[in-house]
Amino acid sequence: MNGRPDLSVQIGKVSLKNPVMPASGTFGYAVEMVPYIEVNRLGAIMVKCVTLKPRLGSLPHRLAESPSGSVCTIGLQNVGFERFVKEKMPFLRELEPPLFVNIGAQSVEEFAELTSRLNKVEGIDALEINISCPNVKKGGIQFGVDPDSTYQVVKAIRQETDLTLVTKLTPNVTDITVIAKAAVSAETDAISLINSPLAMVIDIEKRRSRLGRNLTGGISGPAIRPIAVRLVWQVAQAVSVPVIGVGGITCAEDALQFIIAGASAVQIGAYNLIDPTCLIKTIDGIEAYLIRKKIGRLRDLIKSLEVS
Amino acid sequence: MDLEHEILKNVHVAQNYFKVTLKMPPHSPVPRPGQFYQIWCSGSTDPLFRRPFSVHRFLQRGSSRHLEILYRVAGRGTDWLSKREKGEKLDILGPLGNGFIIEEGQEPIVLVSRGIGIAPLYAVGEEVRRKDKKRKIFFLIGARLKERIFYASDCKELGKVFIYTDDGSRGFHGRAPDLLAHLLKERKISQGVCLYACGPAEMLKELASLSTEFGFRGQVALEERMGCGFGACLACACPLDPKRIVKNSQWKKPSLHWSPDGNQVYALICKDGPVFDLNEVDWNEWTA
Repeated sequence: MNGRPDLSVQIGKVSLKNPVMPASGTFGYAVEMVPYIEVNRLGAIMVKCVTLKPRLGSLPHRLAESPSGSVCTIGLQNVGFERFVKEKMPFLRELEPPLFVNIGAQSVEEFAELTSRLNKVEGIDALEINISCPNVKKGGIQFGVDPDSTYQVVKAIRQETDLTLVTKLTPNVTDITVIAKAAVSAETDAISLINSPLAMVIDIEKRRSRLGRNLTGGISGPAIRPIAVRLVWQVAQAVSVPVIGVGGITCAEDALQFIIAGASAVQIGAYNLIDPTCLIKTIDGIEAYLIRKKIGRLRDLIKSLEVS
Repeated sequence: MDLEHEILKNVHVAQNYFKVTLKMPPHSPVPRPGQFYQIWCSGSTDPLFRRPFSVHRFLQRGSSRHLEILYRVAGRGTDWLSKREKGEKLDILGPLGNGFIIEEGQEPIVLVSRGIGIAPLYAVGEEVRRKDKKRKIFFLIGARLKERIFYASDCKELGKVFIYTDDGSRGFHGRAPDLLAHLLKERKISQGVCLYACGPAEMLKELASLSTEFGFRGQVALEERMGCGFGACLACACPLDPKRIVKNSQWKKPSLHWSPDGNQVYALICKDGPVFDLNEVDWNEWTA
Protein backbone atom coordinates (compact mmCIF):
# COMPACT_ATOMS: atom_id res chain seq x y z
CA MET A 1 0.00 0.00 0.00
CA ASN A 2 1.38 3.37 -1.00
CA GLY A 3 0.72 6.51 0.99
CA ARG A 4 -2.08 7.11 3.42
CA PRO A 5 -5.42 5.31 3.15
CA ASP A 6 -8.32 7.06 1.45
CA LEU A 7 -10.93 7.89 4.09
CA SER A 8 -13.31 9.73 1.76
CA VAL A 9 -16.96 8.73 1.45
CA GLN A 10 -19.94 9.95 -0.53
CA ILE A 11 -23.33 10.85 0.98
CA GLY A 12 -25.72 11.83 -1.82
CA LYS A 13 -24.09 14.74 -3.66
CA VAL A 14 -21.76 15.50 -0.77
CA SER A 15 -18.16 14.27 -0.65
CA LEU A 16 -16.71 13.84 2.83
CA LYS A 17 -12.92 13.68 3.26
CA ASN A 18 -13.48 11.29 6.17
CA PRO A 19 -16.58 9.57 7.61
CA VAL A 20 -16.71 11.34 10.99
CA MET A 21 -19.17 14.08 11.98
CA PRO A 22 -20.92 15.17 15.17
CA ALA A 23 -24.50 14.19 15.92
CA SER A 24 -27.03 17.01 15.94
CA GLY A 25 -27.52 18.67 19.31
CA THR A 26 -24.13 17.74 20.74
CA PHE A 27 -22.04 20.25 18.83
CA GLY A 28 -24.07 23.46 19.23
CA TYR A 29 -23.63 25.62 16.14
CA ALA A 30 -19.93 24.58 15.92
CA VAL A 31 -18.72 27.93 17.31
CA GLU A 32 -19.01 26.55 20.86
CA MET A 33 -16.54 23.77 19.98
CA VAL A 34 -13.77 25.88 18.43
CA PRO A 35 -11.83 26.30 21.70
CA TYR A 36 -11.60 22.52 22.01
CA ILE A 37 -11.11 20.96 18.58
CA GLU A 38 -9.86 21.58 15.06
CA VAL A 39 -13.29 21.75 13.45
CA ASN A 40 -11.91 21.79 9.92
CA ARG A 41 -10.58 18.25 10.27
CA LEU A 42 -14.10 16.80 10.45
CA GLY A 43 -15.75 14.93 7.60
CA ALA A 44 -18.80 17.16 7.98
CA ILE A 45 -20.39 19.63 10.39
CA MET A 46 -23.82 18.88 11.82
CA VAL A 47 -25.62 21.61 13.71
CA LYS A 48 -28.40 21.70 16.28
CA CYS A 49 -31.91 21.13 14.92
CA VAL A 50 -33.42 24.22 13.30
CA THR A 51 -37.17 24.86 13.30
CA LEU A 52 -39.15 27.56 11.48
CA LYS A 53 -39.92 29.50 14.69
CA PRO A 54 -37.72 29.66 17.80
CA ARG A 55 -38.46 26.98 20.38
CA LEU A 56 -37.97 27.36 24.13
CA GLY A 57 -37.56 23.61 24.53
CA SER A 58 -38.26 21.35 27.49
CA LEU A 59 -38.85 22.46 31.07
CA PRO A 60 -35.85 22.59 33.40
CA HIS A 61 -34.11 19.54 34.74
CA ARG A 62 -33.36 18.13 31.35
CA LEU A 63 -30.60 15.64 32.04
CA ALA A 64 -30.23 12.45 34.04
CA GLU A 65 -27.55 9.80 33.96
CA SER A 66 -27.85 6.05 33.64
CA PRO A 67 -25.07 3.47 33.41
CA SER A 68 -22.89 4.61 30.47
CA GLY A 69 -25.87 6.62 29.33
CA SER A 70 -27.46 10.03 29.21
CA VAL A 71 -31.22 10.38 29.45
CA CYS A 72 -32.13 13.86 28.34
CA THR A 73 -34.83 16.05 26.92
CA ILE A 74 -33.89 19.35 25.32
CA GLY A 75 -37.12 19.56 23.32
CA LEU A 76 -35.47 21.09 20.24
CA GLN A 77 -34.62 24.38 21.95
CA ASN A 78 -33.25 26.49 19.10
CA VAL A 79 -33.12 30.05 17.81
CA GLY A 80 -35.40 29.43 14.82
CA PHE A 81 -34.76 29.84 11.08
CA GLU A 82 -34.30 33.62 10.92
CA ARG A 83 -31.74 33.95 13.69
CA PHE A 84 -30.01 30.78 12.53
CA VAL A 85 -29.38 32.32 9.13
CA LYS A 86 -28.50 35.77 10.48
CA GLU A 87 -26.41 34.83 13.51
CA LYS A 88 -25.06 31.32 12.97
CA MET A 89 -24.59 30.91 9.20
CA PRO A 90 -21.85 33.57 8.75
CA PHE A 91 -19.51 31.56 10.99
CA LEU A 92 -20.61 28.16 9.61
CA ARG A 93 -20.05 29.32 6.02
CA GLU A 94 -16.37 29.95 6.78
CA LEU A 95 -15.75 26.36 7.85
CA GLU A 96 -14.21 23.94 5.35
CA PRO A 97 -16.21 20.71 5.91
CA PRO A 98 -19.61 20.33 4.24
CA LEU A 99 -22.47 21.65 6.35
CA PHE A 100 -25.38 19.40 7.33
CA VAL A 101 -28.36 21.16 8.92
CA ASN A 102 -30.74 19.11 11.05
CA ILE A 103 -34.36 20.25 10.59
CA GLY A 104 -37.52 19.70 12.63
CA ALA A 105 -41.18 20.66 12.25
CA GLN A 106 -44.60 19.75 13.57
CA SER A 107 -46.40 19.34 10.25
CA VAL A 108 -45.64 18.33 6.67
CA GLU A 109 -46.41 21.90 5.54
CA GLU A 110 -44.02 23.36 8.08
CA PHE A 111 -41.25 20.97 6.95
CA ALA A 112 -41.85 22.08 3.35
CA GLU A 113 -41.85 25.78 4.27
CA LEU A 114 -38.63 25.47 6.29
CA THR A 115 -36.95 23.54 3.48
CA SER A 116 -37.98 26.05 0.86
CA ARG A 117 -36.39 28.81 2.96
CA LEU A 118 -33.21 26.89 3.76
CA ASN A 119 -32.89 25.99 0.08
CA LYS A 120 -32.21 29.67 -0.66
CA VAL A 121 -29.51 29.98 2.01
CA GLU A 122 -25.97 29.85 0.66
CA GLY A 123 -23.51 27.44 2.27
CA ILE A 124 -25.73 24.49 3.21
CA ASP A 125 -24.80 21.13 1.68
CA ALA A 126 -27.33 18.74 3.17
CA LEU A 127 -30.40 18.55 5.36
CA GLU A 128 -30.91 15.90 8.01
CA ILE A 129 -34.64 15.40 8.52
CA ASN A 130 -35.49 14.89 12.16
CA ILE A 131 -38.66 12.81 12.16
CA SER A 132 -37.49 11.01 15.26
CA CYS A 133 -37.01 13.37 18.21
CA PRO A 134 -38.34 11.45 21.23
CA ASN A 135 -39.09 14.67 23.11
CA VAL A 136 -41.36 16.51 20.70
CA LYS A 137 -44.68 15.02 19.76
CA LYS A 138 -47.07 15.82 16.97
CA GLY A 139 -50.53 14.82 18.14
CA GLY A 140 -48.90 12.22 20.35
CA ILE A 141 -47.14 10.44 17.49
CA GLN A 142 -43.87 11.19 15.76
CA PHE A 143 -43.69 11.12 11.98
CA GLY A 144 -40.91 8.56 12.16
CA VAL A 145 -42.96 5.79 13.71
CA ASP A 146 -45.27 5.54 10.70
CA PRO A 147 -44.16 4.69 7.12
CA ASP A 148 -46.87 6.81 5.46
CA SER A 149 -46.08 9.95 7.49
CA THR A 150 -42.38 9.34 6.86
CA TYR A 151 -43.02 9.13 3.13
CA GLN A 152 -45.16 12.31 3.14
CA VAL A 153 -42.62 14.37 5.06
CA VAL A 154 -39.62 13.28 2.98
CA LYS A 155 -41.54 13.68 -0.28
CA ALA A 156 -42.69 17.20 0.64
CA ILE A 157 -39.11 18.17 1.49
CA ARG A 158 -37.75 16.57 -1.69
CA GLN A 159 -40.12 18.68 -3.78
CA GLU A 160 -38.62 21.83 -2.28
CA THR A 161 -34.93 21.10 -2.69
CA ASP A 162 -32.16 19.35 -4.59
CA LEU A 163 -29.91 19.43 -1.51
CA THR A 164 -28.72 16.08 -0.23
CA LEU A 165 -31.32 14.68 2.17
CA VAL A 166 -30.58 12.44 5.11
CA THR A 167 -33.56 11.03 7.01
CA LYS A 168 -32.90 10.34 10.70
CA LEU A 169 -34.84 7.40 12.09
CA THR A 170 -36.13 6.54 15.53
CA PRO A 171 -35.53 3.10 17.04
CA ASN A 172 -38.92 3.32 18.79
CA VAL A 173 -40.61 1.18 16.11
CA THR A 174 -41.38 -2.48 15.52
CA ASP A 175 -39.56 -2.81 12.19
CA ILE A 176 -37.19 -0.01 11.30
CA THR A 177 -36.58 -1.33 7.77
CA VAL A 178 -40.18 -0.48 6.81
CA ILE A 179 -39.61 3.16 7.77
CA ALA A 180 -36.21 3.22 6.02
CA LYS A 181 -37.76 1.92 2.80
CA ALA A 182 -40.55 4.53 2.99
CA ALA A 183 -37.94 7.29 3.24
CA VAL A 184 -36.00 5.86 0.31
CA SER A 185 -39.08 5.63 -1.87
CA ALA A 186 -39.67 9.33 -1.13
CA GLU A 187 -36.15 9.90 -2.49
CA THR A 188 -34.03 10.51 0.58
CA ASP A 189 -30.33 10.33 -0.36
CA ALA A 190 -29.29 8.66 2.86
CA ILE A 191 -30.54 7.33 6.19
CA SER A 192 -29.08 8.14 9.59
CA LEU A 193 -29.82 6.12 12.69
CA ILE A 194 -30.46 5.86 15.52
CA ASN A 195 -32.06 8.81 17.26
CA SER A 196 -32.38 8.17 20.98
CA PRO A 197 -34.68 5.47 22.40
CA LEU A 198 -37.31 6.87 24.77
CA ALA A 199 -36.31 6.26 28.38
CA MET A 200 -36.97 7.13 32.02
CA VAL A 201 -35.01 7.34 35.29
CA ILE A 202 -36.78 7.55 38.65
CA ASP A 203 -35.58 9.08 41.92
CA ILE A 204 -36.97 6.57 44.44
CA GLU A 205 -36.57 8.95 47.42
CA LYS A 206 -38.78 11.62 45.87
CA ARG A 207 -40.80 9.18 43.73
CA ARG A 208 -40.32 11.59 40.85
CA SER A 209 -38.76 11.29 37.43
CA ARG A 210 -35.17 12.54 37.39
CA LEU A 211 -36.32 14.67 34.45
CA GLY A 212 -38.90 16.40 36.68
CA ARG A 213 -42.11 17.37 34.93
CA ASN A 214 -40.72 16.21 31.58
CA LEU A 215 -40.96 12.61 32.86
CA THR A 216 -39.21 10.96 29.90
CA GLY A 217 -36.22 11.63 27.67
CA GLY A 218 -34.09 10.02 25.01
CA ILE A 219 -31.22 7.79 26.05
CA SER A 220 -27.88 8.17 24.35
CA GLY A 221 -24.30 7.20 25.10
CA PRO A 222 -22.44 3.87 25.07
CA ALA A 223 -25.41 2.12 26.74
CA ILE A 224 -27.30 2.10 23.41
CA ARG A 225 -24.39 1.26 21.09
CA PRO A 226 -25.08 -2.47 20.54
CA ILE A 227 -28.72 -1.71 19.70
CA ALA A 228 -27.64 0.98 17.24
CA VAL A 229 -25.09 -1.31 15.57
CA ARG A 230 -27.76 -3.99 15.11
CA LEU A 231 -30.26 -1.51 13.62
CA VAL A 232 -27.66 -0.04 11.25
CA TRP A 233 -26.83 -3.55 10.08
CA GLN A 234 -30.54 -4.30 9.48
CA VAL A 235 -31.17 -1.06 7.58
CA ALA A 236 -28.01 -1.43 5.49
CA GLN A 237 -29.34 -4.82 4.35
CA ALA A 238 -32.73 -3.36 3.45
CA VAL A 239 -31.85 -0.21 1.48
CA SER A 240 -29.27 0.72 -1.14
CA VAL A 241 -28.69 4.36 -0.13
CA PRO A 242 -25.80 5.25 2.22
CA VAL A 243 -26.40 4.81 5.94
CA ILE A 244 -24.94 7.06 8.65
CA GLY A 245 -24.47 5.25 11.95
CA VAL A 246 -24.97 6.96 15.29
CA GLY A 247 -25.40 5.75 18.86
CA GLY A 248 -22.89 5.63 21.70
CA ILE A 249 -19.70 6.01 19.68
CA THR A 250 -16.70 7.14 21.75
CA CYS A 251 -13.70 6.11 19.63
CA ALA A 252 -12.49 4.56 16.38
CA GLU A 253 -13.13 1.00 17.57
CA ASP A 254 -16.79 1.88 18.19
CA ALA A 255 -17.10 3.70 14.86
CA LEU A 256 -15.57 0.78 12.95
CA GLN A 257 -18.31 -1.55 14.22
CA PHE A 258 -20.89 0.69 12.54
CA ILE A 259 -18.87 0.91 9.32
CA ILE A 260 -18.42 -2.85 9.10
CA ALA A 261 -22.16 -3.25 9.83
CA GLY A 262 -22.95 -1.05 6.82
CA ALA A 263 -22.52 2.61 7.71
CA SER A 264 -20.80 4.87 5.17
CA ALA A 265 -20.28 7.54 7.81
CA VAL A 266 -20.68 7.92 11.57
CA GLN A 267 -21.84 10.57 14.00
CA ILE A 268 -20.59 11.03 17.55
CA GLY A 269 -23.11 12.46 20.00
CA ALA A 270 -23.07 12.34 23.78
CA TYR A 271 -19.33 11.69 24.01
CA ASN A 272 -18.53 15.09 22.42
CA LEU A 273 -19.82 16.62 25.61
CA ILE A 274 -17.33 14.70 27.74
CA ASP A 275 -14.30 14.65 25.46
CA PRO A 276 -14.65 17.17 22.63
CA THR A 277 -11.47 15.80 21.03
CA CYS A 278 -13.03 12.36 20.50
CA LEU A 279 -14.07 13.23 16.93
CA ILE A 280 -10.47 13.89 15.93
CA LYS A 281 -9.18 10.84 17.81
CA THR A 282 -11.78 8.75 15.98
CA ILE A 283 -10.62 9.98 12.55
CA ASP A 284 -6.99 9.22 13.45
CA GLY A 285 -7.94 5.84 14.89
CA ILE A 286 -9.85 4.79 11.76
CA GLU A 287 -6.85 5.72 9.64
CA ALA A 288 -4.52 3.72 11.91
CA TYR A 289 -6.85 0.69 11.65
CA LEU A 290 -6.86 0.85 7.83
CA ILE A 291 -3.06 1.03 7.80
CA ARG A 292 -2.80 -1.91 10.20
CA LYS A 293 -5.28 -3.96 8.14
CA LYS A 294 -3.64 -2.86 4.87
CA ILE A 295 -6.95 -1.55 3.52
CA GLY A 296 -6.36 1.26 1.02
CA ARG A 297 -9.85 2.72 0.93
CA LEU A 298 -12.38 3.07 3.73
CA ARG A 299 -15.11 2.43 1.14
CA ASP A 300 -13.91 -1.18 0.92
CA LEU A 301 -14.61 -1.69 4.61
CA ILE A 302 -18.22 -0.49 4.53
CA LYS A 303 -20.73 -3.32 4.93
CA SER A 304 -17.98 -5.91 5.10
CA LEU A 305 -19.39 -8.01 7.94
CA GLU A 306 -18.52 -11.68 7.60
CA VAL A 307 -21.63 -13.70 8.34
CA SER A 308 -20.64 -17.24 7.54
CA MET B 1 -5.55 20.52 24.54
CA ASP B 2 -3.81 19.36 27.72
CA LEU B 3 -6.43 18.43 30.28
CA GLU B 4 -4.31 16.30 32.59
CA HIS B 5 -3.48 17.84 35.95
CA GLU B 6 -1.44 16.25 38.71
CA ILE B 7 -3.02 15.65 42.11
CA LEU B 8 -0.84 17.11 44.89
CA LYS B 9 -3.19 16.17 47.72
CA ASN B 10 -6.63 14.60 48.13
CA VAL B 11 -7.65 14.66 51.76
CA HIS B 12 -10.66 13.80 53.90
CA VAL B 13 -11.97 16.97 55.59
CA ALA B 14 -15.00 15.79 57.60
CA GLN B 15 -17.90 13.33 57.26
CA ASN B 16 -18.19 12.84 53.50
CA TYR B 17 -16.36 16.05 52.58
CA PHE B 18 -12.98 15.99 50.78
CA LYS B 19 -10.52 18.47 49.32
CA VAL B 20 -8.34 17.85 46.29
CA THR B 21 -5.39 20.06 45.34
CA LEU B 22 -4.24 20.12 41.73
CA LYS B 23 -1.05 21.43 40.19
CA MET B 24 -2.00 23.89 37.46
CA PRO B 25 0.22 24.93 34.53
CA PRO B 26 1.90 28.36 34.90
CA HIS B 27 -0.20 29.89 32.11
CA SER B 28 -3.56 28.63 33.41
CA PRO B 29 -6.21 31.34 33.75
CA VAL B 30 -6.98 32.58 37.26
CA PRO B 31 -10.56 31.60 38.13
CA ARG B 32 -13.00 33.98 39.82
CA PRO B 33 -14.97 32.80 42.88
CA GLY B 34 -18.14 31.13 41.57
CA GLN B 35 -16.58 29.82 38.35
CA PHE B 36 -16.36 26.07 37.94
CA TYR B 37 -14.33 23.22 36.47
CA GLN B 38 -15.69 20.13 34.73
CA ILE B 39 -13.84 17.14 36.14
CA TRP B 40 -13.93 13.71 34.51
CA CYS B 41 -14.82 11.50 37.47
CA SER B 42 -14.34 8.04 36.02
CA GLY B 43 -11.71 6.13 34.17
CA SER B 44 -14.41 4.77 31.84
CA THR B 45 -17.80 5.69 30.40
CA ASP B 46 -19.57 4.96 33.67
CA PRO B 47 -20.35 7.39 35.21
CA LEU B 48 -20.55 9.09 31.84
CA PHE B 49 -20.52 12.86 32.30
CA ARG B 50 -17.95 15.13 33.85
CA ARG B 51 -18.97 16.65 37.18
CA PRO B 52 -19.00 20.42 37.72
CA PHE B 53 -17.13 21.69 40.82
CA SER B 54 -16.79 25.31 41.88
CA VAL B 55 -13.36 26.73 42.56
CA HIS B 56 -12.64 26.72 46.27
CA ARG B 57 -9.18 28.30 46.31
CA PHE B 58 -6.58 29.21 43.71
CA LEU B 59 -3.12 29.79 45.08
CA GLN B 60 -0.28 31.49 43.26
CA ARG B 61 3.28 31.53 44.50
CA GLY B 62 5.82 32.63 41.92
CA SER B 63 5.10 30.53 38.83
CA SER B 64 3.40 27.72 40.75
CA ARG B 65 -0.38 27.60 40.73
CA HIS B 66 -2.55 25.32 42.80
CA LEU B 67 -6.28 24.75 42.47
CA GLU B 68 -8.26 23.51 45.46
CA ILE B 69 -11.67 21.87 45.01
CA LEU B 70 -13.73 21.19 48.12
CA TYR B 71 -16.34 18.51 47.44
CA ARG B 72 -18.89 16.19 48.97
CA VAL B 73 -19.05 12.53 48.07
CA ALA B 74 -22.63 12.32 46.84
CA GLY B 75 -22.56 9.49 44.33
CA ARG B 76 -20.37 7.24 42.24
CA GLY B 77 -18.51 10.06 40.45
CA THR B 78 -17.43 11.87 43.60
CA ASP B 79 -16.71 8.53 45.29
CA TRP B 80 -14.30 7.72 42.45
CA LEU B 81 -12.73 11.17 42.87
CA SER B 82 -12.25 10.68 46.62
CA LYS B 83 -10.19 7.55 45.94
CA ARG B 84 -7.62 9.27 43.68
CA GLU B 85 -4.19 9.59 45.21
CA LYS B 86 -1.28 12.01 45.14
CA GLY B 87 0.59 11.76 41.85
CA GLU B 88 -2.40 10.57 39.81
CA LYS B 89 -3.79 12.88 37.13
CA LEU B 90 -7.22 14.40 36.65
CA ASP B 91 -8.78 15.44 33.36
CA ILE B 92 -10.34 18.86 33.92
CA LEU B 93 -11.90 21.61 31.78
CA GLY B 94 -12.13 25.18 33.00
CA PRO B 95 -12.53 27.65 34.48
CA LEU B 96 -16.05 27.91 33.05
CA GLY B 97 -19.03 30.22 33.56
CA ASN B 98 -19.47 33.55 35.32
CA GLY B 99 -18.15 34.31 38.77
CA PHE B 100 -19.55 36.27 41.69
CA ILE B 101 -19.22 40.03 41.41
CA ILE B 102 -17.50 41.30 44.53
CA GLU B 103 -19.47 44.42 45.35
CA GLU B 104 -17.34 47.42 46.37
CA GLY B 105 -18.54 49.48 49.30
CA GLN B 106 -19.03 49.32 53.03
CA GLU B 107 -22.06 47.04 53.37
CA PRO B 108 -21.44 43.89 55.36
CA ILE B 109 -20.90 40.76 53.27
CA VAL B 110 -23.20 37.89 54.29
CA LEU B 111 -22.27 34.43 53.01
CA VAL B 112 -25.12 31.94 53.41
CA SER B 113 -24.48 28.29 52.71
CA ARG B 114 -25.72 24.85 53.52
CA GLY B 115 -23.46 21.79 53.41
CA ILE B 116 -20.97 21.84 50.57
CA GLY B 117 -22.34 25.25 49.51
CA ILE B 118 -19.51 26.74 51.57
CA ALA B 119 -16.99 25.73 48.85
CA PRO B 120 -17.46 28.75 46.54
CA LEU B 121 -18.55 31.14 49.34
CA TYR B 122 -15.27 30.67 51.20
CA ALA B 123 -13.61 31.85 47.96
CA VAL B 124 -15.81 34.98 48.05
CA GLY B 125 -14.83 35.57 51.69
CA GLU B 126 -11.14 35.29 50.86
CA GLU B 127 -11.42 37.69 47.95
CA VAL B 128 -13.33 40.26 50.00
CA ARG B 129 -10.71 40.02 52.75
CA ARG B 130 -7.85 40.40 50.23
CA LYS B 131 -9.39 43.61 48.95
CA ASP B 132 -10.52 45.09 52.25
CA LYS B 133 -9.06 44.12 55.62
CA LYS B 134 -11.80 45.86 57.59
CA ARG B 135 -15.02 44.95 55.83
CA LYS B 136 -17.49 42.97 57.91
CA ILE B 137 -17.96 39.38 56.74
CA PHE B 138 -20.60 37.06 58.22
CA PHE B 139 -20.80 33.35 57.46
CA LEU B 140 -24.05 31.46 58.02
CA ILE B 141 -23.16 27.79 57.76
CA GLY B 142 -25.29 24.82 58.58
CA ALA B 143 -26.66 21.40 57.90
CA ARG B 144 -29.30 18.95 59.03
CA LEU B 145 -27.39 17.95 62.19
CA LYS B 146 -24.22 18.94 64.05
CA GLU B 147 -22.06 16.10 62.72
CA ARG B 148 -22.40 17.61 59.25
CA ILE B 149 -21.07 21.02 60.27
CA PHE B 150 -17.57 21.61 58.95
CA TYR B 151 -15.26 24.44 57.95
CA ALA B 152 -16.44 26.71 60.79
CA SER B 153 -12.89 27.27 62.09
CA ASP B 154 -11.55 28.11 58.61
CA CYS B 155 -14.36 30.63 58.15
CA LYS B 156 -13.65 32.21 61.56
CA GLU B 157 -10.30 33.39 60.21
CA LEU B 158 -12.14 35.52 57.66
CA GLY B 159 -15.19 36.75 59.56
CA LYS B 160 -17.89 36.06 62.12
CA VAL B 161 -19.55 32.65 61.92
CA PHE B 162 -23.17 31.76 62.77
CA ILE B 163 -24.07 28.08 62.78
CA TYR B 164 -27.52 26.58 62.28
CA THR B 165 -28.84 23.02 62.35
CA ASP B 166 -32.28 21.75 61.34
CA ASP B 167 -32.53 19.66 64.52
CA GLY B 168 -31.03 22.29 66.84
CA SER B 169 -28.13 20.02 67.83
CA ARG B 170 -25.70 22.91 67.33
CA GLY B 171 -26.16 26.67 67.02
CA PHE B 172 -29.43 28.17 65.85
CA HIS B 173 -32.35 25.74 65.69
CA GLY B 174 -33.76 26.14 62.19
CA ARG B 175 -32.77 26.74 58.61
CA ALA B 176 -30.58 29.39 56.99
CA PRO B 177 -33.37 31.81 55.98
CA ASP B 178 -34.82 31.63 59.53
CA LEU B 179 -31.40 32.41 61.00
CA LEU B 180 -30.81 35.30 58.61
CA ALA B 181 -34.24 36.81 59.35
CA HIS B 182 -33.51 36.48 63.07
CA LEU B 183 -30.10 38.17 62.79
CA LEU B 184 -31.48 41.04 60.72
CA LYS B 185 -34.45 41.60 63.05
CA GLU B 186 -32.24 41.50 66.14
CA ARG B 187 -29.80 43.87 64.40
CA LYS B 188 -26.97 41.41 64.95
CA ILE B 189 -26.32 42.03 61.28
CA SER B 190 -27.12 45.57 60.15
CA GLN B 191 -29.64 45.82 57.31
CA GLY B 192 -28.54 46.71 53.79
CA VAL B 193 -26.16 43.80 53.32
CA CYS B 194 -24.63 42.17 50.23
CA LEU B 195 -25.70 38.55 50.29
CA TYR B 196 -23.97 35.63 48.56
CA ALA B 197 -25.56 32.20 48.79
CA CYS B 198 -25.05 28.61 47.70
CA GLY B 199 -27.13 25.62 48.69
CA PRO B 200 -30.38 23.81 47.89
CA ALA B 201 -32.79 25.58 45.53
CA GLU B 202 -35.51 25.77 48.21
CA MET B 203 -33.14 27.67 50.53
CA LEU B 204 -32.21 30.11 47.77
CA LYS B 205 -35.88 30.65 46.95
CA GLU B 206 -36.61 31.59 50.58
CA LEU B 207 -33.62 33.94 50.66
CA ALA B 208 -35.06 35.67 47.60
CA SER B 209 -38.34 36.34 49.45
CA LEU B 210 -36.37 37.63 52.45
CA SER B 211 -34.50 40.04 50.21
CA THR B 212 -37.80 41.68 49.27
CA GLU B 213 -38.86 41.86 52.91
CA PHE B 214 -35.57 43.29 54.19
CA GLY B 215 -34.38 45.06 51.05
CA PHE B 216 -30.96 43.58 50.44
CA ARG B 217 -29.14 42.61 47.25
CA GLY B 218 -27.81 39.12 46.60
CA GLN B 219 -26.08 36.69 44.27
CA VAL B 220 -26.50 32.92 44.17
CA ALA B 221 -24.54 30.04 42.67
CA LEU B 222 -26.88 27.41 41.19
CA GLU B 223 -26.26 23.71 40.88
CA GLU B 224 -27.55 21.46 38.11
CA ARG B 225 -26.56 18.34 36.20
CA MET B 226 -24.54 19.35 33.18
CA GLY B 227 -23.79 17.65 29.91
CA CYS B 228 -20.90 19.65 28.51
CA GLY B 229 -20.35 22.79 30.61
CA PHE B 230 -19.59 24.92 27.55
CA GLY B 231 -22.95 25.71 26.00
CA ALA B 232 -23.24 22.97 23.38
CA CYS B 233 -25.90 20.64 24.78
CA LEU B 234 -28.45 23.06 26.33
CA ALA B 235 -29.17 20.62 29.17
CA CYS B 236 -28.68 23.07 32.06
CA ALA B 237 -31.45 25.54 31.16
CA CYS B 238 -32.72 27.70 34.02
CA PRO B 239 -35.83 29.91 33.85
CA LEU B 240 -35.28 33.61 34.60
CA ASP B 241 -37.79 36.36 35.30
CA PRO B 242 -37.85 38.32 32.00
CA LYS B 243 -38.34 41.62 33.86
CA ARG B 244 -35.43 41.21 36.25
CA ILE B 245 -32.53 40.01 34.12
CA VAL B 246 -29.17 41.41 35.20
CA LYS B 247 -26.59 41.97 32.45
CA ASN B 248 -23.30 43.82 32.87
CA SER B 249 -19.67 43.70 31.74
CA GLN B 250 -19.02 40.55 33.77
CA TRP B 251 -22.36 38.84 33.27
CA LYS B 252 -22.84 39.03 29.51
CA LYS B 253 -25.37 36.20 29.37
CA PRO B 254 -24.63 35.12 25.80
CA SER B 255 -27.00 32.14 25.82
CA LEU B 256 -30.35 33.61 26.89
CA HIS B 257 -33.16 31.98 24.97
CA TRP B 258 -36.59 33.63 24.69
CA SER B 259 -40.01 32.17 23.93
CA PRO B 260 -41.51 33.60 20.72
CA ASP B 261 -43.95 35.76 22.77
CA GLY B 262 -41.15 37.14 24.97
CA ASN B 263 -42.85 36.06 28.19
CA GLN B 264 -40.40 33.30 29.09
CA VAL B 265 -36.64 33.18 29.05
CA TYR B 266 -34.14 30.41 29.76
CA ALA B 267 -30.49 30.93 30.65
CA LEU B 268 -27.82 28.26 30.46
CA ILE B 269 -26.30 27.71 33.87
CA CYS B 270 -22.91 26.83 32.35
CA LYS B 271 -22.60 29.94 30.15
CA ASP B 272 -24.92 32.57 31.69
CA GLY B 273 -24.32 31.35 35.27
CA PRO B 274 -23.73 29.46 37.48
CA VAL B 275 -23.89 32.73 39.43
CA PHE B 276 -27.12 34.72 39.10
CA ASP B 277 -28.70 37.68 40.79
CA LEU B 278 -30.87 36.48 43.69
CA ASN B 279 -33.98 38.00 42.15
CA GLU B 280 -33.58 37.22 38.47
CA VAL B 281 -34.17 33.47 38.82
CA ASP B 282 -37.79 32.35 38.37
CA TRP B 283 -37.77 30.38 41.61
CA ASN B 284 -41.27 28.96 41.26
CA GLU B 285 -40.40 27.39 37.92
CA TRP B 286 -36.94 26.32 39.04
CA THR B 287 -38.22 24.48 42.10
CA ALA B 288 -41.40 23.10 40.48
